[in-house]
Amino acid sequence: MWRYILKRLVMMIFVVLGVAIVIFSIMYFIPGNPAQIILGSNASEEAVQELYASMGLDQPYLTQLGTFLSDTFLHFDLGNSYQSKIAVATEIAERFPRTLIIAACSLIVTTAVGIPLGIVAATHQGKWQDNVATLISMLGLSLPGFWLALMLVNWLSVGLGILPAYGVGTWKHYVIPIISNSVIGIANIGRQCRVDVLEVIHSDYVTTARAKGVSNHNVTFKHVMPNALIPLITSLGSVFASSLGGTVVIESIFVIPGIGLYMSNGILNLDYPAVRGGVVVIAIAFSFVMLAVDLIYAYVDPRIKAQYEGK
Amino acid sequence: MEHKIEQKNQEHFLEVKDLTVYYTVSKVDTKAVNGVSFTLEKGQTLGLVGETGAGKTTIAKAILGILPVPPARLINGSIRFDGQTLTELPESEMLKIRGDKIAMIFQDPMTALNPVITVGDQISEVISLHNSVSKAEAKKQAGEMLEMVGIPASRYGEYPHQFSGGMKQRVVIAMALACDPDLLLADEPTTALDVTIQAQVLDMIRNLQQKNNTSMILITHDLGVVAQTCDNVAVVYAGEIIESGTKEDIFDHPTHPYTVGLFGAIPKLDDDEEWLHPIEGLPPDPTQLPEGCAFSPRCPYAGPECRQGSIPNTELTPGHFCRCLKLEKKEEQ
Repeated sequence: MWRYILKRLVMMIFVVLGVAIVIFSIMYFIPGNPAQIILGSNASEEAVQELYASMGLDQPYLTQLGTFLSDTFLHFDLGNSYQSKIAVATEIAERFPRTLIIAACSLIVTTAVGIPLGIVAATHQGKWQDNVATLISMLGLSLPGFWLALMLVNWLSVGLGILPAYGVGTWKHYVIPIISNSVIGIANIGRQCRVDVLEVIHSDYVTTARAKGVSNHNVTFKHVMPNALIPLITSLGSVFASSLGGTVVIESIFVIPGIGLYMSNGILNLDYPAVRGGVVVIAIAFSFVMLAVDLIYAYVDPRIKAQYEGK
Repeated sequence: MEHKIEQKNQEHFLEVKDLTVYYTVSKVDTKAVNGVSFTLEKGQTLGLVGETGAGKTTIAKAILGILPVPPARLINGSIRFDGQTLTELPESEMLKIRGDKIAMIFQDPMTALNPVITVGDQISEVISLHNSVSKAEAKKQAGEMLEMVGIPASRYGEYPHQFSGGMKQRVVIAMALACDPDLLLADEPTTALDVTIQAQVLDMIRNLQQKNNTSMILITHDLGVVAQTCDNVAVVYAGEIIESGTKEDIFDHPTHPYTVGLFGAIPKLDDDEEWLHPIEGLPPDPTQLPEGCAFSPRCPYAGPECRQGSIPNTELTPGHFCRCLKLEKKEEQ
C-alpha cells in the first residue's frame, strides 16, 4: 500500500509540472500587455515599454518558462501579484481556506442530502417517493445556481433578515453560498446514487442476503450500500475537486474573497503570477483529493486494495 | 413416499398449490409460472427439470418469498410448509424462516457472494441471525462450516475474489446449510462448475442432506444430475408442470411428448449416431402463451383440440401425472 502511495506522489509531481507548463503557455499567448494594464491607458509608450522589459516580459518564451518553473518548483516562490504587489503565496494562503470551507461544506451537504435521496428513490422504485426524489433532482439540475443564490438572498436576507447577504466574517455568511453551491451536486449525486443502488439491489448477492433472512434495512445498509458507494466516491471526489476551483460565480455573488475570485480578477487584469499560482495550488489540491478518493476505494473494496498491493 | 397431488386430508411437508407468478414490466405480463402444484415429503428430493426460462427459479424464489416485487407479482396460489401458510405470513415471520428453515443455493457462485464482505462473515451472518449466539461463537461455527465443505477455516477472513469458482460454490453451500435447514432449494447448484467439481459438490450436498434428513428441491436442466439425486421429478415447461412422478416413472416411462423429446435429445454412447435429436422449435414467448397446451406448437401429435381450453392433469399410474390430451394415441403407436 505504501509503495502505491509513493508511486502516486511521484506521478503527482509530473501532473503538476504539466499543468504549470500549460497554464504558463495559455497566459503567454493571450493577447494583451500587462504593463499597459498596470500603468493605465494614459501612460506613455516609453513608460509601458520600460516596465514591460523590467518585468522580464520581453524575454523569449522558453527563457520565461524556465524562470517560472525554477522559481515555482525549485525556490517555491510564486512571485508577486502585478496588481497588489503582495506575494501570491501570501494572498493564496489567506484566500484558499475560504474556498476550502465552501467546498468542504458543500461536499458534506451534497453527501448528506444526495445519497439519502438516491437511496429512498431506489428502494421505493416506481412509488411516490421515487417520483418526489426525481422531481427534486430535476429542479436542482435545471435551476441556475446564481439565480437560486439571489432568490435565497432575497428570501433569507432581505425578507427575513436572518442571514447576511454578502461578505465573510461569521459562519452565517457561509450558509447561503454553501446551499446554492450544493444544489447541483445534490441533484447529480441523487440521480447517480439511485441508479447505482438499483443496479446493486438487483444483483445476485443481494438476493443471497435476502434468502438468508436479512431484514430490508440491513440488506440496504450492509449489503447494498458498500457496493453502491464505489462509483459514488469518484463522483463525490469530482464534486469536491471542482468546487475547489469552480466557485467563482458563488464567490462573485457573495463577494467572498476566495481563490476563485482571485483568479478570475487575475485573468481580467492579465496578472500572470496570480493566475499561475492559483492554478498550481488548485492542481496540487486536486491531485491530493484524487489520491484520497483512490485510497478510500481501497478501504471500501478489497479487490481494489489487492490490486494496489500488487497481489 | 409417493408423490400424490390429489391426496387431500394428509398434511404434506411442503405443498405448493396453483402457484401463479407474473413479471409485469410496462403493463406487459410475462407469465413465468402458471398454476404450478406439487408436494414434497420430509427427507425427499424433488427434481424440477426444464429449459432455461421455464420458471423453475421463480418457483423457488416464490417459496422463499424473495421474488423481486416489482416487477414480480404473486397472482394466485398458496404455499404450505411444515404447518404454516407461507403466502399469508407477514414479512417479519418470513425473515425467521428464510435461511433457517428454508435455505437456497444459488446458480452462479461467481455473483452470489457479496464482493466486499469476507466469506466467513457472510456465513456467520446467517448463524447470528437465527441463533442467539455470541459473535465469537457464530464465527467459530462459520469456521466449522467452512471446514465441513472442505475449505480450511484459516481462510475465514478472505474475500470472494480470492476463491475459485468451485470454492465459491462450496461457500454458498456452507451458507445455505449453516442453520440446518429443513428444506433446501438448490437452484442449478452445479451448472457453473466443471464436471469433476460437479460430482464433488453433488456428493457433498447429498451427504449433508442425508445426515440431517433435509428435504430438497433440486432445480436443474441436467437429467444426469436428476438420475443421481432425486426421488421424484417434475418436468416444467412454460411455467407449468407438464409431467410429474417418481424418478422411475419419468425415466422409464416418459409420457408427455416434451419429456420424450428431452430424453431423445440426449446422445447415446453405445449408438453410432451422427446427429443429435433436438426438439424442433423454441419455447413459447411467456408474454404470449399459446391457447391450450403450451407445447402444442412444437408437438408432433398436436391436433386442434390441443389448442383450446385447459389441458387436464391425468393420473396414468398412481403418482404419475401427465398433462396431455394425446395419451391414448401415443400408446397406440
